[in-house]
This record gives sequence, C-alpha cells and structure tokens, in this order.
Amino acid sequence: MNRDLAKTMALAGLGGAAFLCVPLVANSGVVFLAGLVAINIVFALSWNLLFAGAGLLSFGHSMFLAAGAYTMAKFSLSAPEVPFLLTLVLAALSGGVLAWVFGFVALRRASGTYFAILTLAFSALVHIVITKTDALGRADGLVGIRRPEIGVGSLRLSLDGDMYYVFIVLSMTLAALALWCFTHSPTGRLLQAIKQDRLRTSFLGANVRRWQLLAFCVSGVFAALAGAVMAPWSQIVSPEIAHWSMSTMPILYALLGGTSRFWGPALGAILFGMLDYGTRNMLGLADMTSGILLLVVVLAVPGGILGLLLRVGRTREEAKG
Amino acid sequence: MMMDIGLVVFGGLSWAMATFLVAAGLTLIFGILHILNFAHGGFFMVGAYLAWAMIEALGGGVSIWTYIAVALVSGAVVGALGVLVDVTIFRRLRDVEDAYALIATYALLMVCIGAIELIWGLDFRAIMPPEALNSALFIGDLIAPTFTIFIIVCGVVVYVALEVFMARTETGKLVRIVAHDAWMARLLGLDVTRIYLITVVISFALAGLAGGLLVANQGLSPELGGVFLLQAFGVVIVGGMGSIRGAFLAALLLGQIESIGGMLFPNYPGIFYLVALAGLLLIRPQGLLTKGRTEWV
Repeated sequence: MNRDLAKTMALAGLGGAAFLCVPLVANSGVVFLAGLVAINIVFALSWNLLFAGAGLLSFGHSMFLAAGAYTMAKFSLSAPEVPFLLTLVLAALSGGVLAWVFGFVALRRASGTYFAILTLAFSALVHIVITKTDALGRADGLVGIRRPEIGVGSLRLSLDGDMYYVFIVLSMTLAALALWCFTHSPTGRLLQAIKQDRLRTSFLGANVRRWQLLAFCVSGVFAALAGAVMAPWSQIVSPEIAHWSMSTMPILYALLGGTSRFWGPALGAILFGMLDYGTRNMLGLADMTSGILLLVVVLAVPGGILGLLLRVGRTREEAKG
Repeated sequence: MMMDIGLVVFGGLSWAMATFLVAAGLTLIFGILHILNFAHGGFFMVGAYLAWAMIEALGGGVSIWTYIAVALVSGAVVGALGVLVDVTIFRRLRDVEDAYALIATYALLMVCIGAIELIWGLDFRAIMPPEALNSALFIGDLIAPTFTIFIIVCGVVVYVALEVFMARTETGKLVRIVAHDAWMARLLGLDVTRIYLITVVISFALAGLAGGLLVANQGLSPELGGVFLLQAFGVVIVGGMGSIRGAFLAALLLGQIESIGGMLFPNYPGIFYLVALAGLLLIRPQGLLTKGRTEWV
C-alpha cells in the first residue's frame, strides 16, 4: 500500500467519523441535511471525475442521479423481496448503462461546448420522459419508499432512522475512496493525458474516444449510486431530481471547492450545505447567493476555496522559511 | 387532412418564430464573443416580467401599440443591463477557458432566476394579449389566432432588421469584422472592446424585447427561461453557432419537426425537438450553414 493511499484513507476515515458525530450533537433536520451532503459529495466527485479528470463538461449529470434514484425507488416499491444491496448495484449500473448509450452516440461527434449542450439536451429528454411515464409516477414522482433492511438469512438489520444515516456515511466514504483510486490508477492518468493533449495521446496509441467513454460510464455509475442511496433517505423521488437545475449542483460544489484537487468538490458540497441551511427560509435568495458565489469563484478564485487555502498555506510557509 | 397540414405548418411556424426571437441575441453573442450565454434565458425572463409589471401598472388591457412599446422599453432596460454585465463579467471571461466561461454564464442565469423569485415570487402570472390580437383569423378551415400571427410577423421583422443591420450599416460591418478576426481588427486600430460592448447590448436588448413580445399567452414563472433557452440553444447549434441566417432556418426546420411530432405524439410535447436536435448534431455537429469553424453568415 503506498503512502498516498494511506493518507487518503486516513483523511476519508476522519471525514466519515466527523459525519458520524453529527447525530450526537444535532437535531434530526440537520442529520437529514448532513446525509444529503454526504450523498452530494459523491455526486460532485463523480462530476469532477469527468471535468477535471477527463476534460469533459457535463451539464446533464442529473440524469444519472435520476436513473439511480428511480431504479432504487421502483425496486423498493414493486419488488421489495430483492435484497437491498443487489438493488443498489443494479441502480448504480443503470447509470452506467445510460452513460454508455448516451456517451456512445455523443462522444462520436461532439466535443467541447457541443458535448456540454448535448448532455443538457439529453438530460432534458430524460426529465420529460419521466414526467410523462405512468410507471414512474409522472410529475408526482414515487412516494413512500421504505428504509431498507440488509442481512443474510435470518440475520437482518433494519436500516431505520439514524442507522440509515450510518449506512449513507459508510457507503459514500467507500465510494469516494473508490473514485480516488480510479483517478490515481493508470487509467486515471491516461485520461489526464487525454485532457491535456488529446492529439498527442492518440499518437501514443490510446483510443481517446473509448477511454472517454469509460470515464463517462464510471462517472455515471457513481452518480447513479448517489441517487440510489438518496431515494430511501428522502423517501420520495420526484422528477425534480432529473431537472437541469439538479445538474448545476455538482458544478457548483466542484467549482466552489476547487476542481483541480480531488477533495475540492467534497469541501464545496459541505460549505454549500451550510450555506443552503443558512438561507433555507428565504425564497430566491438561495439561487441568488449560489449564483453570485459561483460567479465570484469563476472570476476571482478559479482554484476554488481549497486551491486558495493551499496557496495561502504555501505562501505562509515560504514566508517562514 | 388539408386542415391538419395547415395546422402543423402554422404551429411549427409559431414555435419557430417564438424560438428565433430568443435565439437571435444568443447567436449574435456567440458569433462575436464566442461565449455561449446561458444567462440569455434569464434576461429574456427579466424582460418578460418587466413587460408584465408595466402592463399591470397600465391597468391590464392595453392596445397593440402600447404592447409593442412596452416590449421595446423592456428591451431597452435589459440592453442597459447588458452594459453592466459586459463591463463586470464578460470582459473578464475572454482569457478564461471555454468551460469556465460557460459555467460563469450559468451562474449569471441563477442570479437572474433568484432575482426574479425575490422580486416577483414563484406564482404563475399571466396576461391576455392586447384586444386587437385576441381573436382568430379563419383561413379556409384553419383557425389562426391573431396573437400567433403577430409573433410570426415579429420574428420575421427581427430577422430582416438584423440582416439589414449586419449587411448595410457601418456598425454592423464593424461587428462582422470583429467576428471574423478580432486580433486583426485590433491591429487595424478598431476599438474592439467597444464593438464587443455594442454586440452585448444588442443581444441583451433582443432578449428583453423577446420577453416583452412573448409575455402574453405564457404562464409566466421562473421556469420559463429554461424552456425557451433550451429551444434557442438547439436552434443556435443546429444553425451553426453565430449565424443569424442559420438560426432562422434551423428554427423553421425544428419548428416543423416539433409540430409534426406534437401531432403524432401529443402526450410527449417537446421530445421530438430534442431527438431531432440530437440527430442533427450527430450528422452535422458544425451546424447547417457553417463550414467547419464558426463563421459569420
């Protein structure tokens, strides 16, 4: 095991532990929000895997979140006998399949801005299809999703209330670690090379489109996993989850925290969760503050908060030395 | 059957011109500043809400000329906002990566939506078209609402005006020069920054005007901008980014497709257009009228 991985595991462990402490000190409303933040962290990391990791800008990430959430909700309502963990895997795969179908078509011709708009159009299509499909509850969504049970044979553990919160934190920590490993694997480095110089990497013999498609699918799987874990937590899945404003969220988190660092989007999601909590009662203010915040970050601090902190830290060290 | 065809063509035309009104300013900014402006949908809505507020203040039912005047005022106000946006934001985006510029305009759209929610709330608002436009013409078996005809005429007028402006006026020619090669234009001593500013103001004014013209017959809600924006994006992309003529033709084409789709699958409005958009992009990612790089006209 190399040192970087050990350090990352320690960091993720600390972060997870901090999240696990929330129910001890805060009321259930805050715990609910903390669970959503944990889920959003993985959602944002999956988006940044594409943006910072492979140079693909997605404006349609909500479609994967929706794929996972609706698959989970549908299984939980119509086929509760299927084990929860199996459903989770199926839901995550649904995002991967969606990503493959879309990416197979879109990556063939489009790149850059065109690709971004295609993702937007495709997710809009998914949103419309959901609002018009009876089996998915149309505009009302699916309600009454139960908190799941896990276990083998007669040994069963009901993930109710705070227990499901613990499950969220653990699963999302593992998912984040898995994403870290992917980013730092040879494949991750190859994608980085493609991002930096597409042409040169293809001269070196890499099939650029196939690797980008792989990145797209991995990103789709993790975004769908986030959606699948979210469904039993909020116990309702509505078409809002597929709306394009949902696709803004990971962009916002990642840019706020800093896209060039792996954990930047996580920091952004946490900060944004706090901001959201602070402005929750003021209609319109939430949109406005997040918009202004995002503008300021893009125009003034392109490295995001984490980039800024690291830069300040480095300058201080240099001043000392 | 004849009536059906008439209905489809008419419906498609109405979709096309409403979308073109929004897309005109969008394609203008893209052609010259090379920024795909998400906020366009936001300022379109600002224009619509402004027009709504003015018409309410005038007591509701207004004449057709007042209606047009109100739309022009909305355009002027939003155009003035364009000055602010260009100076504070767009100017800084010129040296930024495409993806970041795209995200910045997205952020600006959120600010617009937030501002509208703060000022006007989430409620649906609606106003009736002016008295003179609140009837219908009977052409054979076809029932054509006069307001829809009005929108179609407006779309054509805006298109012709833009073409004339670009081809005949000195400012229009300067804009085209900058669109073609901003670096060279600067070398020749042209004030490129000023021309950018003019472009942004015209584009924003078009957004405000479109909002003001389309405000009647629409359920006005903060969602509206997104719907029109997505349609306009499609038109701009299919037409070839930056080409006004391309956007006009793309609007006509996508309008007919959407209209035919709407008749065949009335339960899924809006889907045909998206499928057609994806299909056209895959066949011709560079757009209908451009050869490779985005080029003016």
